[in-house]
Order: sequence, then structure tokens, then C-alpha cells
Amino acid sequence: MYNPHNRNNSDLFLLVLLLLLMIFGIIMIYSASTTKIGESIEHENYYIKQIVFVIIALIALFVLLKLPVTLIEIMVIPIYAISVIALVAVLFLPAIKGSHRWISIGALGFQPSELVKLFTIMLTAKLLDEQHLTEGKILLRTAAATILPFILIFIEPDLGTAMTLLMSIMIILAFSDLPFYYLVVLVSPLISIVLSVNPIYFAIWIIVLALYFFRQKVHLLIAGLSGIFNASLYFLTPFVWNSLKSYQQNRILTFINPLHDPFGAGYQIIQAKIAIGSGGWFGKGFLMGSQKNLQFLPEHHTDFIFSVIGEELGFFGCLIFIVLYILFLYRVVVNAGKLKRKFMFYTSVGIIANLSIMMFVNISMNMGLVPATGIPLPFIAYGGTNLLFNTLAVGLVMKFASEKNVFD
Amino acid sequence: MYRKRISIWIPIILFTGIFLVLVSNLFYMQVLNGEKYLTISENNYVRISKIKPMRGSIYDRKYRPVALNRTSDNLYFRLSEINEKGKLAQFISDNFAIDSLAVRQIMQKNRFRKYNDIALKKGLDRAKLVEIAENMYKYPSLRIISEYTRHYEYPNHLTGHVGGLNESEYENLKDEGYTLSSNIGKSGLEKQYEEMLRGESGYRLIQVDATGKDLEFLKHNLYQPAKKGLDLILSVDNDLQTYIRSIFPEDKLGAVIVMDVRTGGILSYVSMPEFDPNIFSGEISQGVWNELINDPAQPMLDRVSNGTYPPGSIFKPITASMGLETGVITPSTKMTFCNGGKQIGTRYFKCWKEQGHGRLAVSEAIKLSCDVFFYDLSMLLDLDEMKNFTKANFLTVKTGIDLPIERNGFFPDEAWYRKNYGRYTGIIGPKVNLSIGQGEILVTVLELCAYYSALANDGLWLQPHFLEGYIDKDRVKVSDYETRRLPLATENLELLQHALDRTINEAHGTGSAAKVKGVTVYGKTGSAENHMGKSTHAWFAGYAEWEEPEIAFIVFVQNAGHGGSIAAPIGGKIVKFYDKLRTGNPEEYLKFLPAKTEQVN
Repeated sequence: MYNPHNRNNSDLFLLVLLLLLMIFGIIMIYSASTTKIGESIEHENYYIKQIVFVIIALIALFVLLKLPVTLIEIMVIPIYAISVIALVAVLFLPAIKGSHRWISIGALGFQPSELVKLFTIMLTAKLLDEQHLTEGKILLRTAAATILPFILIFIEPDLGTAMTLLMSIMIILAFSDLPFYYLVVLVSPLISIVLSVNPIYFAIWIIVLALYFFRQKVHLLIAGLSGIFNASLYFLTPFVWNSLKSYQQNRILTFINPLHDPFGAGYQIIQAKIAIGSGGWFGKGFLMGSQKNLQFLPEHHTDFIFSVIGEELGFFGCLIFIVLYILFLYRVVVNAGKLKRKFMFYTSVGIIANLSIMMFVNISMNMGLVPATGIPLPFIAYGGTNLLFNTLAVGLVMKFASEKNVFD
Repeated sequence: MYRKRISIWIPIILFTGIFLVLVSNLFYMQVLNGEKYLTISENNYVRISKIKPMRGSIYDRKYRPVALNRTSDNLYFRLSEINEKGKLAQFISDNFAIDSLAVRQIMQKNRFRKYNDIALKKGLDRAKLVEIAENMYKYPSLRIISEYTRHYEYPNHLTGHVGGLNESEYENLKDEGYTLSSNIGKSGLEKQYEEMLRGESGYRLIQVDATGKDLEFLKHNLYQPAKKGLDLILSVDNDLQTYIRSIFPEDKLGAVIVMDVRTGGILSYVSMPEFDPNIFSGEISQGVWNELINDPAQPMLDRVSNGTYPPGSIFKPITASMGLETGVITPSTKMTFCNGGKQIGTRYFKCWKEQGHGRLAVSEAIKLSCDVFFYDLSMLLDLDEMKNFTKANFLTVKTGIDLPIERNGFFPDEAWYRKNYGRYTGIIGPKVNLSIGQGEILVTVLELCAYYSALANDGLWLQPHFLEGYIDKDRVKVSDYETRRLPLATENLELLQHALDRTINEAHGTGSAAKVKGVTVYGKTGSAENHMGKSTHAWFAGYAEWEEPEIAFIVFVQNAGHGGSIAAPIGGKIVKFYDKLRTGNPEEYLKFLPAKTEQVN
């Protein structure tokens, strides 16, 4: 007898939400690539390309759902290795738009950083699932697996993606069984880099760190190594900084403070704020955004597509969009919540963290709440690689949740 | 498999937090401040306009211009302001000699750049502009902008040229301040020193709004002036450059280089036939371009550093010094009797002089350029070691001159012959040929000049270069130039110098045509057989000494005959001219130094 409860179907509701987001994305890219002034309308073909990307992503999703989980698990390390090699290779390819992010395949560009992000998350989850490893070993391997792609993405340069990767891994660790001070060990170098500008703050920070390690009775070797490394960053940071070219320094300064470059990134954010704000309650109407049409909005089909949404659909449009988006994310969480095996669970945590960070940071960036960092809005912004791997990531969670043996 | 239970409330709280932050901000911006932003967006006629920097000039060693910026009137149009495309295209084709179809194509290509000025034609004729001035107002989309274009003082192969960015260059460079209408060095020194020459763009906020509304967001930094690029000072001497171009045999191809022995600075760099980089400053037509690249004389080829040729007898000092350095001969070793040639194996190798030279030691052999002496010597040398020794003298090695493209010469080794002529090919014949700079050996004129300069400089090899300095001192440092040492013992070096002296200044020396009164000229002639034509390449290599050696030079005339009769006299003339030049007071040239000017925008 057929009993629907014996089979654990993929979450149909989640699939519908995913499709809705994708279609909404295509519609908004259509608007973003349309220039309408008076009666004259000009189209660029980004939306057609995006339709192709969506079809490819959906095909990949259904293929993924057919694969056995064991195979996926076996593939984690090889694909991680390949993607890191691809990250190295991309540095030697000619720069596109001033950075080494893309591998060109015909007319299409492939971003290995998206692939590496997903597989670093999976590798971390796999490490946390290892029974025979000590906590220290797990942590060291996770750190190694994360720092390598982080540095490679950072020097592309793609600060936004590098930071997203790092934060996703941190969130996985925060949800894991590992003691909290490990997270402190991992995060402390970042704080050290920031504080190395001021000797007094830096000294205070190192003392606080040492006291914390002492209070927590952290293993002497870990505490010692971490302390020495953090202290050495005080000398290392200015050295690295001075070896950067002036335009690279400018880019980082602008990342920290957009007003550092009022004619560049700062200008973009101001125009994006004007676009969103001028949308009012109901927006200026589909295709009617004047900020977009008069080309005040930069990159309006990629990083700043939310500004187009805000300008043309207004507060209510944005509200519906954000509710839809959070419903979708929540639905992924519900799927992940069923998972019992650590590998599957931590992978899902990482994926949810990654998607949530990208969505939150991108929209905040459009509203001028955080610096412009080049993080795209998942499923909405134009771009094939991002769409493909975000779809596959959601597919993974669906796949895990539909596995019989994960249930109690 | 156990994992920590995590409350479902954690994600719910986090997502609610995200939702509240985003929506409350949206509410604040769109609902509470919506009116304000709407007004701003309706009056948003603020644009950033980039101000192009002025490119640095290039001066010669006495601060006389080599490359300058000149104003020219250029025609642009702005798509957003075009009313009637057809009429406009017709007007342009009638008055500016551009095909109306081409105009349509430019419009189509730039259809998404409605608010940018798109270049149509550069270097408009002033008289024509006056003529059509009264009709211009009908076409508000057209604008004539006075801009600087690059002008080169004389035809040359060293400055290179500048040109507009193509799409892919623009994509890669826009973060470094380039715009689609920027110029960038495409070749030569313009490319090599692009970073120094280009300057920095300025910015200006353009407010088109007639009411002059208060720009609440961009009150600060409304204007940032452009910075002019650095002015470069070269080691080149314009007078010497012009003089050499004027005395080069008419209708001949070739190259002449003169280098300062004491610094490595290049005083003159001439490649013939001439090439005028100014043709790239205007719009170059397909016809002119085709003519240029299909010209069999290859005027665009830089024969100093990008052409490789067999050196012939001016290579002999290297073979001689190898014999001395490896100890297979001593300064007094005499070889077999030269009776006009030598039978080696199945082949008879001729000396250039049919009557023969008799028995010679190395110094006379160089002076008289006796081939048989070197044939004999080559029998005592190993081919692969000859290759290495040539390389150790920095021939067949790129000099690292400050130009973007340089070729290096070639010296074959045994493996090369085996690979190209079969396993059992004899290498004695080729070796005999190579010893006198014939056969497969190829070198650049530049490599040879660096070598002869090093001979003059007691074995110290200096990297040839153009850039001596720049006028603005505190921004970029001129990199240090490399020095190397020739692998010659002092006594062998002195022997070579003496032999080169005898070649010019003793009776029967092959280079006597280069003799100059009051100056000691050292040199070596060469007549290299080649596959390019019947007559030999005429070579003359040498240096000239006043209180100390000052200049080294190479004269190379392709397929012109004998070095002694064709190239050596040119070498003599160059020394004479330089003799006059060096007595002039360099201080008097300081008045040519450009006054410090602020760029006006």
C-alpha cells in the first residue's frame, strides 16, 4: 500500500518559495536592465541571461536531489581541493573589472569563490562530525580549511565574500559543541588587526585577551600561540598595509568609511538611498524608477537591485518582499531542524547563515546602513554562479531533510 | 550520533531581529522621509564629471621637447540630446567628412551611454569650424571641445604613441581613474612610463538644476582638481638625433644607436625608415594603416631593439677574447698562414681578402679582420662554450632597456644543430662560420652597443636606458639601472681595446674611414652576409675617447655593402658632431626648462 508518510518528500512549500524568489528576481532584473525615458525604451539582455541561469540552477537542483548523500559526502574534500586550486588559478587570470574573481568560460564568467564558500561550509561540518578527532584537532583543521580560501578570496579582492565565508564558519562553530573560547581564539586576530592602529587600545586588548584565557583555563599551548600571533599582528599589519598599492588602500579605507571616497562608493550609496527613500508607500511603479532610468543608480542589476525594488515598488513592495524572503529562510531552518547527523546539521547551519548574512548585508548596504561591499542579494541579483550555488545549497538542505535515516 | 539540542527559538528571534531592523529602516526612509527623498530624486541633476589630467611631457637631455601636449578641437556628441538622428548624421557627414553610415554605427554602439560625450572626430580644422559655426546651434547634441592631443617633435621609434582605451582595457582600468575617453600609452616610452605620465583625474560635481537647490548630501568636496602627470627627462639629445637621421644613407634600412659610456643613457636611437608616431594622434584611416603595415620596408619595426641580424666581423672581439680567456691562445700565438682562405673538411672557407693576410697574432687579426685566424681559433673552441661565452658578454640577452618590447639575439648550440639538421650533422662548419659572426647567430643592435660600451668602460656593462629623471621630484623614484661585468681579465680587455684602436688609427686598419682628428676612436667594421639580399649588411661598432671614453655607438646599414666604406664613415661623422656638441655649455639649455604651471580647468 502506498503511504505518503513513508516517503519523505522534498519540502514542496520551500520549493515554491524558492521559485517565487527566482521569478521575482527575473522581473526586477528586467526592470533594472530597462531604460525608459519618456516613450523611448531600451532593453539590455540581462534578464534573458538570468532566465537561462535559473533554468540551469533548477536542473542542477533536481540532479542533486537524485544523488545519494554518501556520494555528496565523499565529494566534499575533492571538490574543496579543486575549488581552492581554482581560486589560485583565478589570481593568475587577467583582471575583470579590476579584480580577479572570474574564470571566463566563453561569454560567461564563473566565480570559484562561490563554490569554495559552499564546500568550506561542508568541510567544516564534516570535521565537526569526526568522532575520533580531539577538539583541538577539529579546530585547527577547520581554521586551516577556512583561512586558506579566506585569504585567496580576500586578495582577489572580494572583501564581501571573504567576510561572509568567515562569518558563516564562525556561526557554525558557535552552534557546535566546541567550547566558546575557541571562537575567541579564531576571532581575536581580526580584532588585533583593527586595533593595531593604536598602541594603547592594542595593549589593553592583548591584556584583556590574556586575562580571558587565564580565567577560562585555556590550554597553555593554545593560549601561548594565540597570544604571540595576536601580538605579532601589531608589527605585521602596518607592514602589509604599506606594501599595498594606494588604490588598494583607498578601497579598504572606503570599505570602512564610504565618505572617504565621496566620488566613488560614497556617491553610489547616496544615490541608492535617494532611490529607496523616494519610493514612498507604494513606489513609482514598475519600470518607472527615475533614479534607475536616469542612470544615477550604479550596478542596478547586481549589487544595488534592492534600490530598484525600493524605488519602484515602495514600502509595501519591500515589506512583502522581505516577508517572503524571511519565510523562505525560516522554511530552510525548519528543514534543517529535523536533521540529526552532525554533518548534515552543521552544513545546513552554515548555509542558512550564509544566505541570511548575504540578504541582510545587501539590503542594509542599499539603505546605507553598512559599507558597500559587493555582496549580492541571493536569488534576486543578476549573476549565474551565485544563483547556481545558492540554489544547490538550499537543495542540499532539502535533500538532507528528505533522507529517511536521519529521523529518530 | 548525538548533537546538542538547539531551541527553535534562536532562529526565530534572529530572523525577527533582521526583519525589524530592515523594515523599521525602510519605514523611516520611505514613509517618514519619503517626501524629502522624492524631492531630491526629482531634482537629481547632480552628476560627477571627471576632469582629465594633462599628460606629462617628455624632454630631451637639454630640456627640449620630444613629446608635448597640443590643443586640438575635437568633435563630440551626446546621445540624450539628439532630436533627429538622420538629419544629424547628414550634417556630420557633410561637414566633417565622416560617412553617415559610420556615424549611425557609432550611435548604435554607444546607445547605452546617453549622457556621455562620445568622440566623433579629432583635430578639426579651425577654418572649417568658423565656416559652419552659424549652423551648429541647430544641433545641440554636437559639441566641440578643445582638448590636448599628443604631439611628437620628430619621427622616432622610442616615444611610442598614446591612444584611446578599448572596452576591455577600460573594464580593467576604470578603478584606476581611467575613463572611456582617456588616453593611455600604447607603445614605447609612453607605455613604459604610463604610470608616471598619466597624472591623476580630478572631479567636479556638475549641477544642472536651474534653481540651484541646496545639495544636502554632497556639500563637501565639490571640486577636486586634476594633477598633471610627471614630465620626463630623457638621455636623448635632439640635435644628435636629428643629425643622424639626416646623414643616414637615403633609401636604406638600418639603425644607429649612440650611448653614453659613463651612464648607459641613450643619446640617439634611430631606426630607418622613419616612422612618425603623430599619425596616431588624429583618427587614423584604414588606408593609411594598411599602407603602413603592408610596407615591405616595415617602417614600424624598431631595428635597434626589435630586429635581430647577423653581426659579421664586429663579433670577432668576442671570439678573440674567448680564445684568450680560455687560454687556447696567448697574445702572441700566431695561426696558420692566411693565403686568402682555408680548407676545412670538404669545404673551402674564404677570407674576405683574396690576397691573404699571412701569419697573424690576435691583435693584428682584429685590426685587419682576418677571417682565417678566427677559423683556426674556432677549431680550438667548443661550440656550447662559445654560446655560453657570448651570453656571458650579454649578447643574446635582453638588455632590460626601458621599452615595453625588446627582443634578444640568438646563438645556436650543438643540440640546436642536431635538432634542426639531423643527428649526424657536422658542427665544425657552422662553428667556423659563427666565429666570424656569420651563420645562425643573430643579435640586436642594442645588445652590441651595450657590449662595446662595456669594452670602453673597462669591462663594466651598464644597462642602456632612456629615462634620466623627471621634473616633479617627490612622487616616483627612477629605478636604479643594472650594472654587470664582462668576463674579461684586465690584460685581455686592454688587448682588445688596443686592437680596436689599431683598427681605426693604424695604417691598413679596416676602420680608418672613422678616424677623427683630436679624438681617439676605437672600433670594428663588419660586413655580414645574410639572406635578406645580395649585398652584405654594413656594420660599424665602436667608441670614442676624449679625456675618457664618452660615447659608444653602432651603425648598421642593411644590405648596403662593406662596413669599412659604408658604416665607418657614418661613425666618424657622429664622433665629429658629438665633439662639437660636447663643447657647448649645457647650462645655457636650462632656459628651456618649462616654467612651473598649474593646470587650468
